[in-house]
Amino acid sequence: MDEPCVGGEAAPSRLNRWVDPSFADLPGERFAPSRRRKGSQVEPKRPRKRRGESGSSDPRTAHLLREPAPGDQDEPWVDRYSPRSQAELAVHKKKMEEVETWMREHLNASKGGVLLLTGPSGCGKTATIQVLSLELDVRVQEWTNPSNTEPYSSSQHDWRTNGSSCSSQLAPFQDFLLRANKYSCLKMVGDGAAADGKLILVEDFPNQFYRQPGSLHDILRRFVKTSRCPLVFIVSDSLSGDSSSRFLFPREIQEELDISSISFNPVAPTTMMKVLTRISTAEAGKSCGRMCVTDQAVLETLCSGSSGDIRSAINSLQFSSLPDTSLEKGLWRMKDRRGTTLLGKAASRATQRRKKSKLTKEPEEEQAIGGKDASLFLFRALGKILHCKREKPEDAEAAACAPGPGLPSHLSHHHREALLVEPELVVERSHMSGEFFNLYLHQNYLDFFSEVEDVDRASEYLSDADLLTSDWTSRSTMGQYGSSVATRGLLHSNSQHVSVGFRPLHKPNWLLVNKKHRENCLAAQYLFRSFCLTPVSLQTELLPYLAKLTNPMRNQAQIAFIQDVGQMSLRRFPGRFNLEALTDKEPAQLDKDSEEEEEGQGGGEEGLPASQPQPTATQVLLEEEDLVIEDYNSD
Amino acid sequence: MSLWVDKYRPTALGKLDYHKEQATQLKNLVQCGDFPHLLVYGPSGAGKKTRIMCLLRELYGAGVEKLRIEHQTIVAPSKKKIEINIIASNYHLEVNASDAGNQDRVVIQELIKTVAQSQQIQSSTQREFKVVLLTEVDRLTKDAQHALRRTMEKYMSTCRLILCSTSTSKVIGPIQSRCLAIRVPLPSTEEVCSVLTSICKKEGLLLPPELAKQIAQKSGRNLRKALLMCEACRVQQYPFSADQEVPQTDWEVYLRETANAIVSQQSPQRLLEVRARLYELLTHCIPPDIIMKGLVTELLSNCDGQLKTEVAHMAAYYEHRLQLGSKAIYHLEAFTAKFMAIYKKFMEDGLDGMMF
Repeated sequence: MDEPCVGGEAAPSRLNRWVDPSFADLPGERFAPSRRRKGSQVEPKRPRKRRGESGSSDPRTAHLLREPAPGDQDEPWVDRYSPRSQAELAVHKKKMEEVETWMREHLNASKGGVLLLTGPSGCGKTATIQVLSLELDVRVQEWTNPSNTEPYSSSQHDWRTNGSSCSSQLAPFQDFLLRANKYSCLKMVGDGAAADGKLILVEDFPNQFYRQPGSLHDILRRFVKTSRCPLVFIVSDSLSGDSSSRFLFPREIQEELDISSISFNPVAPTTMMKVLTRISTAEAGKSCGRMCVTDQAVLETLCSGSSGDIRSAINSLQFSSLPDTSLEKGLWRMKDRRGTTLLGKAASRATQRRKKSKLTKEPEEEQAIGGKDASLFLFRALGKILHCKREKPEDAEAAACAPGPGLPSHLSHHHREALLVEPELVVERSHMSGEFFNLYLHQNYLDFFSEVEDVDRASEYLSDADLLTSDWTSRSTMGQYGSSVATRGLLHSNSQHVSVGFRPLHKPNWLLVNKKHRENCLAAQYLFRSFCLTPVSLQTELLPYLAKLTNPMRNQAQIAFIQDVGQMSLRRFPGRFNLEALTDKEPAQLDKDSEEEEEGQGGGEEGLPASQPQPTATQVLLEEEDLVIEDYNSD
Repeated sequence: MSLWVDKYRPTALGKLDYHKEQATQLKNLVQCGDFPHLLVYGPSGAGKKTRIMCLLRELYGAGVEKLRIEHQTIVAPSKKKIEINIIASNYHLEVNASDAGNQDRVVIQELIKTVAQSQQIQSSTQREFKVVLLTEVDRLTKDAQHALRRTMEKYMSTCRLILCSTSTSKVIGPIQSRCLAIRVPLPSTEEVCSVLTSICKKEGLLLPPELAKQIAQKSGRNLRKALLMCEACRVQQYPFSADQEVPQTDWEVYLRETANAIVSQQSPQRLLEVRARLYELLTHCIPPDIIMKGLVTELLSNCDGQLKTEVAHMAAYYEHRLQLGSKAIYHLEAFTAKFMAIYKKFMEDGLDGMMF
């Protein structure tokens, strides 16, 4: 246990001990024996938490922390320079206002609400709450997962009587919510003017909720009914696809419980630059010349390397400005190299992107900074491939002259300018398997081509890529080659690199189509197994003709199936597949939930020949079946 | 009321309508007692299954016609459960092992083992072997086929296999050599016509010979298809007229329209529309290779003679990839794009030729 060594940290532990008995005195069988445990378990947890996050759980303790002890070299800059006012907060003004208005509204109202803050890690979600609660004079009460190690070390008897509390974190969590809601904090000595409001903050979810989000929803429902103070959830997005915010708080629940949701963006480069500059100037001033102000270019590299994560940016700033590291020299060297490109370019978005792509060309640069590996939203990753950005011809001419002779004349039509992106890196950063990325590319590439000849070559490359990954035994090895072939093939075959402007991107239809194909085939074989036919002749001969015959089928399912599959609406342009637009922020996800749409648009309405017995009856029956199925699903 | 195809299916070797010589040979085969494994192959709709069922009846009598559908669950060594439909009588067992995907080896081994291990009770009055009928042998994995080879030898005393496939090219050599191969060719146009006329007569309908001929040609001599077409004609219009339009399946018409769309314009946008149509076909249970085949046929009939070799070549190339690859749409689309490029270039060259 890391006993607080910094002077200022004695306070919070004492404070906690003050807080705890107030809980323990409450009538409650679960909390009563946990007095001792709670005292020793929450205490070490909090300082650790504070170190990781930019703010601390309690505004008052944070206050104490922020007076840095003189000569405290080890304290992370993230803590030392954690924002104290809205002006210092590296969050967009609008977002801040949004959160503030929500807090004001719900603090004054007698009934509390629920707020969900989402966004990538290190974009200042927690800090915003801290700062705002400080300014609005609100007390924050935060839930931390109790650790279960302690009961084992304590007396056996204690543990046995209290067995239920170590089996699940659910009950303590529920107790916490309800108690925090019900009872106001005791007035502490030295609190000064007591805070009027209170806010419950949950950032650390009990693990059980990830397994059974339903239990969280139950607790929330109960909370919302009786709530008196606002409750804030903070969920960090991850790019790898398992969006926990969507999992923990599905849309239905958000609507049902009236949860407002505010999503944070990564910290903008300009804002981050401001913060970094401020910190480095302050540090340089403090160190009295031992440390010089970190160079602007270095800051920019840090800034772009951190991909909007201000916490990691500050950490790496502190790391890189440690005296006498060889790393610094590396950074300096890099600055010289990059000097020309950086000059005269405002840190606009476009150039930022370009810089990033420049960076990617020299991987060792990124390692030098120690920033986190950048990741791309799928939308942008696809855009990078499909828009096919190449160097301007005049730049390239100079470049082409230098290294050696270009292509011989008979191959000159294969000449392309140098790419601005590294396709493999783009795929890697999209956090998807190459195969899946290829599907996305395939769905969208046609919009970006104007010549059939180019399309021909591009589609051939896609076909190649599929061939490479077809064998499942070698798929893991070949996957990367496949995506490389597909992306580079697409880039190369797009010879008319005209900019097409904005094009909406869509999710691939193939998965859905393939699934339906298989399901329909299975259903066909199952429903019509009495015909004893091979699948091919069943599907291509029997079914289509059955649709044309008056032959009364044996059951409704068969009739329905024939109407859906055997017949095709001929003249109509196939509108079956509603293209699902890909939004800007959408992280890569294998959506398995897309099968809810369609079904029933298959063309059953106009279908039946006049002689088919009782068409109306079949329709009614069909609808009934649908209803039954829905009922079943909702259970 | 059942379909004409089922209603008028001949049930005895003597009643078969065509390839009568082969029918008598089969009869002799049954009578001479020593019955080998059979490999029956021939195109779809030629009457393979009909012939096999007749043969079984010849072997066992009318008892084989009492069919039941069984649903059997087989547990693979990997504890994975495979569910499979079996059509069985007291004397035989019909399985499409390719339903089980790449677990078909287990299915074959388990099934044949259980069948072969049980002896016939009254071997004096009955045949001492049972028959396992495997359909779509050409779609079995190589793994399963090798397992089959071993099983065939082992249980020869109690079990005979009849394999049914559309072509022998995908059946491995060892199996071919262990079986008596019987090819069932398609009936000739005249034979199809005579079958159609006789069935219509039994139904009390009058089929004009011109229409019969038209149906026979449209069906590509596939007797099953011809009978279905004929029945659809009956629904469409009766009394028949000689120049009646023979109804085609929706997907064939749809595919033809798709081909027309490809020929009429070559652009990425058009390709996008074609892709949507291909997806539509796929969801209607049309297998990708059939789509490919149909598309090529339609395209070939639409394009100039000079292009035909190249188009056919490209079709073969992409069809091969279709078989190897995992996602059919890539290859179908690549073929379409290829055709568009070839066709467009040809048309442009033709225009240039006209100019000078």
